[in-house]
Amino acid sequence: MKLEMLNIVKSFGANDVLKDVDFNLSGGEVVALLGENGAGKSTLMNILGGVVKEDSGRILIDGKEMRFVKPLDSLDAGIGFIHQDLNLIDDLAVYENMFINRELKSKYGFLDIETMCEKSAEIFQRMDVKIDPKTMVRELDASYKQIVEIARALMMEAQIIIMDEPTTSLTAPEIKRVFAMMETLKEQGVGMVFISHKLKEVLEICDRYCVLRDGDLVAEGDVKDVTVNDLAKHMVGHEVRTDMLQRDRKYGKEVLRGENLTLQHCFKNIDFAVQEGEVLGFTGLLGDGRSELFRTVFGCNKEYRGKIFLENNKVRVKDTKQALNLGIGYLPRNRKENGIIGDMNILENGTVVIWPRLVKNWLINRTLQREEFQSKVEDLRIKLEKDTDRIGSLSGGNQQKVVLAKWLSANPKVLILDNPTQGVDVGAKEDIYDIILDLADAGMAVIVLSSEAQEIIRVCDRALVMYHGEIKGQVSGDAMTEENIMLLATGGQTKEMGEIDHGSN
Amino acid sequence: MEVIKDRGIRYGRWFADQWVNNLLFSTGIILLVMLVLQTQALGFNYDSFGDWFTAWIRNLTNVLRNNSGIGIIALGMTFVIISGGIDLAVGSSLVAVGAAIMLLLDTGPSGILGLVGITGFPAYVVAIVLGAGVGLVLGEFTGLLITKGKIPPFIATLGTMQLFRSVTQHFMQGYNPAVPRGFLPLASFRIGNLMLMPIIYWIIIAVIMYIVATRTVFGRQVYAIGSNERTARLSGINVNRVKRRVYVLMGVLVSFSAIIQVARIGSMDYANAGAGYELDAIAAVIVGGTSFSGGKGSMIGTVLGVMIIAVMNNLLNLWGVPPFLREAFKGAIVIAAVLMQRKEKEI
Repeated sequence: MKLEMLNIVKSFGANDVLKDVDFNLSGGEVVALLGENGAGKSTLMNILGGVVKEDSGRILIDGKEMRFVKPLDSLDAGIGFIHQDLNLIDDLAVYENMFINRELKSKYGFLDIETMCEKSAEIFQRMDVKIDPKTMVRELDASYKQIVEIARALMMEAQIIIMDEPTTSLTAPEIKRVFAMMETLKEQGVGMVFISHKLKEVLEICDRYCVLRDGDLVAEGDVKDVTVNDLAKHMVGHEVRTDMLQRDRKYGKEVLRGENLTLQHCFKNIDFAVQEGEVLGFTGLLGDGRSELFRTVFGCNKEYRGKIFLENNKVRVKDTKQALNLGIGYLPRNRKENGIIGDMNILENGTVVIWPRLVKNWLINRTLQREEFQSKVEDLRIKLEKDTDRIGSLSGGNQQKVVLAKWLSANPKVLILDNPTQGVDVGAKEDIYDIILDLADAGMAVIVLSSEAQEIIRVCDRALVMYHGEIKGQVSGDAMTEENIMLLATGGQTKEMGEIDHGSN
Repeated sequence: MEVIKDRGIRYGRWFADQWVNNLLFSTGIILLVMLVLQTQALGFNYDSFGDWFTAWIRNLTNVLRNNSGIGIIALGMTFVIISGGIDLAVGSSLVAVGAAIMLLLDTGPSGILGLVGITGFPAYVVAIVLGAGVGLVLGEFTGLLITKGKIPPFIATLGTMQLFRSVTQHFMQGYNPAVPRGFLPLASFRIGNLMLMPIIYWIIIAVIMYIVATRTVFGRQVYAIGSNERTARLSGINVNRVKRRVYVLMGVLVSFSAIIQVARIGSMDYANAGAGYELDAIAAVIVGGTSFSGGKGSMIGTVLGVMIIAVMNNLLNLWGVPPFLREAFKGAIVIAAVLMQRKEKEI
């Protein structure tokens, strides 16, 4: 099967999203589609998936011209689109999800569960994975969910599979599992489009790459001829830095200290301390408990045991409002669910934590609110048209900066950043790193939580590595390498981690 | 010719755009159309323009006055729904507060304030304050069930709806308090031969609620919680406290409505007063464009929503539509309003 997209043009209003883009894919290859947020990747794939209609251009499959008006058309043509936020129903079994809306029925009109399970199992066998079709989807880990989605596409005889950032929410061993399955499919002649911000993974799994920038195809070629730096350069249009960014700083007095912190099923016996002007990293694999730990510090779980000290005073943090008043800031992970308020405008999103402080004569003073926010817009170089626009109209990077702005305006003593560059393009990522370092220079204590070792190495002075809710070790200076972090993060026993099998119970 | 046609298209497009994207615009237009229809239904068969005008005003003020109680409750309901909740107990709370005021003010031998020797104007003030206090306590109780008890608002208020009315009915049976005549002008005081007081209270409360919703920390926090509770909590908002206050506010507004009702009628039917108020208030809020899933809505919309339903009822009455069928129109307009909202969302 050979797919060609020729001269695709698409604009939304005055915004030219795709300007005459060509894209092609053959069976048995994995093509990386790269670009910053807003470069046009999603639009291109949405056109292929029948979600949006192109303004002009042609789509050919095996030389035959196709017209995709709705997602079903594209599916019928053998194109499966695995969206970033998976479309599985947690409370149904795997086979029910596989056959949703196309359930097989016996001759009396009842569901034919046996056959559906058999067919599901056949597909899984073809993909070389072990999943019991009767498992509830809720019990699967993220990688198996991804695999079930792909299996569903394959069952509909998809020859081309589009994967939109499939590895974002996966841990290292899970990513390995998905990649192994991709290799198997490749051998069977399935073509795949791999959309990702993780360039190392692109080098690992893809054969070719295409880079979009501002609606133009700016580079394409074989992956084996390029490095991560080359790709990043194509994406942003200029050199990017990958070096360590730590600067020599004088630390001030201790700001936050945790002693023996424990929360059942989440983390235990955690000791840490962070000083003024220090950037402390916390890393590990997904589910290592670091998010829960710092949410607890921020007052989300009052049942914790152990002690929290703020500037050497013992405090018992019971709710988030108290944490805020104590001078703790927490930028959460998963911006859409935890970081932004979709129905509110940019200005309100950027000031929500300081509303009480902006009150004059019982009312929120709008002038004060705008001044406060405007100064952050300049400091953080947030790109926006009107601050009364909806927060959703901004790019991911700028949304994240607005969330950051709301915390900076609260002027916390210690700022906890959980996955601060999640879903943010390369350029904004660099901006956020700069902001973190500037904050530390100005004397703020910063804690960065991230599962990307590279990120920790770039901005943190030292890092604590967690594994299954416990701190496994600390890395700093020259010892802060991806290898060392990985070793600690996997509990020092890499092999065992790779074989946790949730699929066959 | 071309120019005129172009301009026509441009206005048409502007109108379509406003209609879809600006809920106040569409609800406003609907209300205006209904008012025109109402004018037409009243007819022009009068001796003079003055007579016609008096009749027209009288009809409109009657409609608004009869709905000002619901109007005040709907303002509180708007907050409740924006916060992502619902309150089914407003009618029952109204009866409970009404009973409390009647007990306090009774001119008979067992009137509480009479027994302690407070009469006349001070008694009215005390009764109003204590009445509002009862509403506040009932609201706080509901709020605690929902926040501390973690009971979904629908279930919690379904429970309190029956609890409040049943307890009130039990303790008030066989007891017929009489409200002192001096209390009645609170609602029936005439301005230029028109009973405008309830409408004035409604307008004042609406203006205050509009300011609370758009300009105060509490108001904005209610929107934030309704839109994304998790983000709100992670932004240092004490979600439970804000939610509790929403129900307290609802309770206080219900008390105002009860006070006006007592002053207007001078008595209360504990079995039937306020029955169906919860649904009328919810209907008005929804017609006014507030999103049932929370986070979006406006006080102006709710005022327009109450007026649309009120004027529509009046219109059906004037047209002589059989009473049983009138409810169907109310149902239809609620459904139509939600259909319109869905259209807005897709864009």
